[in-house]
Amino acid sequence: MTSPGRIVVDGRPIAFVAGDSVAVAVIRAGEHPGHGGTICLAGDCGNCVAEVDGVAYVRTCQTPARPGLVVHRHPAVGAPPLRASGQVDVTSPPPARRIPVERLEADLVVIGAGDSGTAAVAGAQQAGRSVTLLDAHDGIEVVAIYAGPTVIARTAAGMSHIHPREIVVATGAAELHPVCRGNSLVGLYTARAAEQLHARGVDLGVSVAIGSPPRGVPCTALPGSLRRIEGEGRVARVVTLDEDGGGERTTPCDTVILGLGRAARNVLARMAEGLPVSVVGSAAEEFPLPAAPTAGIVCPCSGIDVDDLAGVWERGFRELELVKRASLAGTGTCQGSVCLPHVRAFIAGRSAEIPDPFTARPASRQITLAEAAAGVHFDVFRRTALHDEHVALGARMDRFGGWWRPWHYGDHIAEYWAVREGVSLGDVSTLGKLIVSGPDAVEFLERLYPTSVADIRIGRSRYALLLNEGGHLIDDGMIVREGETRFVLTFTSAGAGHAEIWVRDWAETWKLRVHVMDRTMSLAAINVTGPLAGALLERVGLPSAPRFLEHVHADVCGVPCHVMRLSFTGEMSFELHHPVDRSVELWRALMAHGRDLGIAPHGLQALQGLRLEKGHVIIGMDTELDSTPRRLGMEWAVKMDKPDFVGRSALARTALLADNRRLVGLMMSGSAPTEGSPIWLDEEIVGHVSSSFASPLLGGAVMLGWLKRMPVPELVEVDGRSASVTQPPFYDPDGSRARA
Amino acid sequence: MRVVASPEALDTALWSKGTVVLRLAPDDVFAIGASDMELADEHAIIVDEAGFVGMWLHDDELSQRVVPHIEWPLTLTRPALVQGLIAGVPSKLWLEDDRALLLCAAAYGRELADRLG
Repeated sequence: MTSPGRIVVDGRPIAFVAGDSVAVAVIRAGEHPGHGGTICLAGDCGNCVAEVDGVAYVRTCQTPARPGLVVHRHPAVGAPPLRASGQVDVTSPPPARRIPVERLEADLVVIGAGDSGTAAVAGAQQAGRSVTLLDAHDGIEVVAIYAGPTVIARTAAGMSHIHPREIVVATGAAELHPVCRGNSLVGLYTARAAEQLHARGVDLGVSVAIGSPPRGVPCTALPGSLRRIEGEGRVARVVTLDEDGGGERTTPCDTVILGLGRAARNVLARMAEGLPVSVVGSAAEEFPLPAAPTAGIVCPCSGIDVDDLAGVWERGFRELELVKRASLAGTGTCQGSVCLPHVRAFIAGRSAEIPDPFTARPASRQITLAEAAAGVHFDVFRRTALHDEHVALGARMDRFGGWWRPWHYGDHIAEYWAVREGVSLGDVSTLGKLIVSGPDAVEFLERLYPTSVADIRIGRSRYALLLNEGGHLIDDGMIVREGETRFVLTFTSAGAGHAEIWVRDWAETWKLRVHVMDRTMSLAAINVTGPLAGALLERVGLPSAPRFLEHVHADVCGVPCHVMRLSFTGEMSFELHHPVDRSVELWRALMAHGRDLGIAPHGLQALQGLRLEKGHVIIGMDTELDSTPRRLGMEWAVKMDKPDFVGRSALARTALLADNRRLVGLMMSGSAPTEGSPIWLDEEIVGHVSSSFASPLLGGAVMLGWLKRMPVPELVEVDGRSASVTQPPFYDPDGSRARA
Repeated sequence: MRVVASPEALDTALWSKGTVVLRLAPDDVFAIGASDMELADEHAIIVDEAGFVGMWLHDDELSQRVVPHIEWPLTLTRPALVQGLIAGVPSKLWLEDDRALLLCAAAYGRELADRLG
């Protein structure tokens, strides 16, 4: 036979014959594709796995040899090195490797094209069902079955995700490997492997066969049972025990061929419990277990020997699943294909009960992370209409609440001062926005919110908490009244999705006559804030800006806007809600008209400091899952004299209970401590900091934090420094700047 | 135009000629190209809608560029509106006999375009 080329194994070229797998080519060269142990050439064991063209744990017996293919044997002990470990900059993205995914549907998937599988296919086709046949010999390796059911297969072209109604597992049976002293030497083959090697013209040298001999392979069949195998690295002799148990017989040889029996190849069936899966043919057979092992390697993948199993048994791990976990037998490359029959036999030998095989979990074969992730998408993050404007202004974009948002534009302190002293723009398009309209709108919102709604005049708005039935804060925002029966509700960016569902659920539950429309992604919003904000808006078409908590519809820079006067920064602020397709136009016009006022955009980093000086909470950052208005010091936002609202009865009940948790303000000199820092009192931790900011204006650190101590102490310790406990806001406590 | 109204009112609404009416939910319609409409619900919410981006696709473009990224069965019924994740992005497809309109929120537009290549 002529060689079509050579592969490179551990840096050395090895010739192969057309049709050889990598493993066969290596064996043909007189070597072992791994570091010893029985070779099955059926993809069942892990004794031939190696790194092939940069991918570790590849079964070389299933990999066709081709010219130039580079193989590195795994280390004899331990795992192959991770390539990423040599990468200096772990933050740099790895080379993209796109694995195509083919998605298929079928009435029936049959796994295995042997006699049983072929019969299943024929039967289904006769019944008029669509059938997909998957067989490893055709290069389609099924690696997992998931609920659905979904069958995941690796193909030459990529990955297949198949959604059948039913699955037939017809994967046949695997040959047993020997467990005895010397079973990790080179020169051991199962009977079928020997048949393959002989058929491919590989010289096995002086060969002996134990058990069922291979068909057509020149060898000496030895009577009796396998006792041990001897040699230095390679097989030199095999020792058998006479059938009558009379004595040991030692036979010199180069190769030992083992026909020791079979075990159902049912790993896929064992990962599909509760799914519409049937197992047929040999995969469904109960083969006799081998004799309980007494010595030698049981699990070659994990290097577990009989002594290891005995050790975990003595420590009290006596169920199969526990023996597996305690010893790691069955957790390696072959997922128990080799060791499971022997571990079951080990337990049966000691307990007189044959345990059922252990559960299998995907993946049954080693696949790369790229293959596992094929067809899986990252969570999608939304971009506001101003995304490119922020990037052009040098913003560092980051992900917050499901959106890409500007964290800063290079200098968050300068952005802070632009808000406090001049005028600044903030992109608040991400805020949740709902329209609620209908004859029952007022009643609906009265029931939904703890604040009063009926007395909000048209053209006015009110800050409101959103509580759950437990009286715990789940979101906050504004109630903006547009008409007798029409309102706009705003919510936090991160809470908008949940809030929409919450509003719709209650509308449906109460069967009130209201319509709800989500405008969160249809309307952009720009916050114009700072003491010069009014002056800027006057320049661009809003001569009489609304007063605090008022709102108007007006054109700003020619763009139709819903202008809401409120404040999160503590300064005069106008939120301009407008159609997303006009957002860039509005942003650029505002920036141009405000240039001589020193206008600058501000990012979230500055905003978090600005609002903290005002003591405004951020839901989810300063609140916990059980934060009530009382704990937050926001009982002013709750009207307990209303007949009912979501959370009212819980608040009424808990108001009678003692409670020692409070969100408080904290101030101290120096830098801002890390958010989450513990709050100490008398050498006890009595709370933690939820937000912190080194205030440029106040010249120290301002914080919000949770205290679990009543009465609230005047002084505590944070970050090794004394901090005074105060009632926020820290800045402009009478709100004169926001109302200016 | 986007309209939220009672399902009964939307069932009987009259739309100006040439309007593509996408019923996003029983009480929610996205009407493309609508210049006028008649609706029997005085409390309906009717607004201009700029929050979607879309692209008309021929059948072959649909099958080659979009369908491989859909993990759910695509109905054979025409016309039909289907909604779900396409390449992991919340999207809508309006399927006509020989073409389809692929829609998503503008906030997802670039991500969807990137993922579809």
